[in-house]
Amino acid sequence: MKKRTHLFNLFEIISIITAAVVVVFTSVLILTIIVRGFPYLQEAFLSEEIQFSIKLSLYTASIATFICMFLGVPTAYALTRTSFPFKKLCQIIIELPLSMPYLVLGLSLLLIFSSDLGKALKELGFRVVFDKNGIILAQTVVNLPYVIRFIRTAFQEVDERLEFISGSLGASKWKRFTTITVPLSKNAIIATIILTWSRCLGEFGATLMLVGATRMKTETLTTSIYLNLATGDNGAAMASATIILIISFTSLFITNWLGRKNSKESRMKDVTLR
Amino acid sequence: MNAMVEIKDFSIQLGSFKLKNINLNIFDNEIFAVLGKTGSGKTVLLESIAGFYRRFSGNVTIQGKSVIEIPLEKRKIGFVYQDFGLFPHMTVYDNICYGLKIQKMDKEKRKKKVAEMAEILSIEHILKQYPGTLSGGERQRTALARALVLNPKMLLMDEPFSALDPATKQSMYEQIKEIHKIFGCTILFVTHDFNEAQIMADRIGIMVNGELRGIRKSTDLFKKCQDEDINNFLCGNSRGEKDAI
Repeated sequence: MKKRTHLFNLFEIISIITAAVVVVFTSVLILTIIVRGFPYLQEAFLSEEIQFSIKLSLYTASIATFICMFLGVPTAYALTRTSFPFKKLCQIIIELPLSMPYLVLGLSLLLIFSSDLGKALKELGFRVVFDKNGIILAQTVVNLPYVIRFIRTAFQEVDERLEFISGSLGASKWKRFTTITVPLSKNAIIATIILTWSRCLGEFGATLMLVGATRMKTETLTTSIYLNLATGDNGAAMASATIILIISFTSLFITNWLGRKNSKESRMKDVTLR
Repeated sequence: MNAMVEIKDFSIQLGSFKLKNINLNIFDNEIFAVLGKTGSGKTVLLESIAGFYRRFSGNVTIQGKSVIEIPLEKRKIGFVYQDFGLFPHMTVYDNICYGLKIQKMDKEKRKKKVAEMAEILSIEHILKQYPGTLSGGERQRTALARALVLNPKMLLMDEPFSALDPATKQSMYEQIKEIHKIFGCTILFVTHDFNEAQIMADRIGIMVNGELRGIRKSTDLFKKCQDEDINNFLCGNSRGEKDAI
């Protein structure tokens, strides 16, 4: 018995040391950005170019996140709660972009929207290549598979028997979805929204391929970092990185806070597993 | 007597488990127990009657209509799972009120109905609590209240008393019988407890290895028969009742 306790403690110690190594490494990365970017931060906030890139980043990330959720939630529902032919194949196709380089995704988008279809859309007033619509599209394409994956996992974790009981109490499929499935995956959905938004803010590869990097036109915060690095202005680049860091920190903080706020009362709430 | 549930030549394959050739009629206002060892297919039979599965051979009808042709929300069955299946994000009040809200019942009427049900089941004091903070008995009463508040035609219960202590069990047996009198619904429940089946049920179905091997009046449960599997099952589990066989 004593030996077991000893092994368990050793395992705990190794876990804590591993976590500490990860924390130190990540902290060094973050501190480097802050230390190098902070002196230029005030100047960056006053710069018209950075203000433009912040606005463009927030605008495109918000629209792309909305589109991702709008498409992702029904798709995840279809994959977890309905049956249709070739469902497994559809799931593989949907999640395949997860393992593809974003540059390749961007290149595919560029090829599609440089074709006759893209030209026809452009004539109808929907510009994609070298336009902010392209940024939204690139961010959506890159993040949609993540959203579907996260939401699908969240829906899978909801006990289907609860939905069955809800149905036996008279609820239609829509009511079961809105009163049982969604509330029980609420934390995961909120976390997905915020993480997707953060990922959209940081998207660069696909965006660069589709809309290029033009100052004050398609310049998001990540593009601004790229442009400033290309011209040797490392301070401004790190200032943009610091701004992304601040936004990401805020969004992660909100995610955790909401997660805590929404946790339901349980008899286990005061129990610490020993 | 009218049949509430008719099961004809019903078979279903779930992974490596198979429920084979079930034939059973459950009558209006009857209390029927399905008795069997763990893994004998009791819960699958109960879920099949509720229409949980869509791919099977044979027929399951409720009041003459095929169960899978009736939309789930219109089957008018109450289902109580072994772990009670309470909605964890709702208070006890909201759990009981759920079906009434779906029916768009007036708020005052809802309150009255929930209060009545809470009084019958003695759970007035926990209405504001979440399921995570309740004891086994309180959860069971809440699940029953939620199912019964809609006056279902049929109440299906999967080992509803297995998590309760002996004293609570006894009081719940009485309560369920009382509820059966008040609401007049057909009750079908699954158990592996012989005593429970005899106390509660009018008739008992015995499941062995995915087959319904026998149906008996509860007073004749331990009557010897030709089926050695049933005899062994009743013998092996009843201990004190061995001599009766």
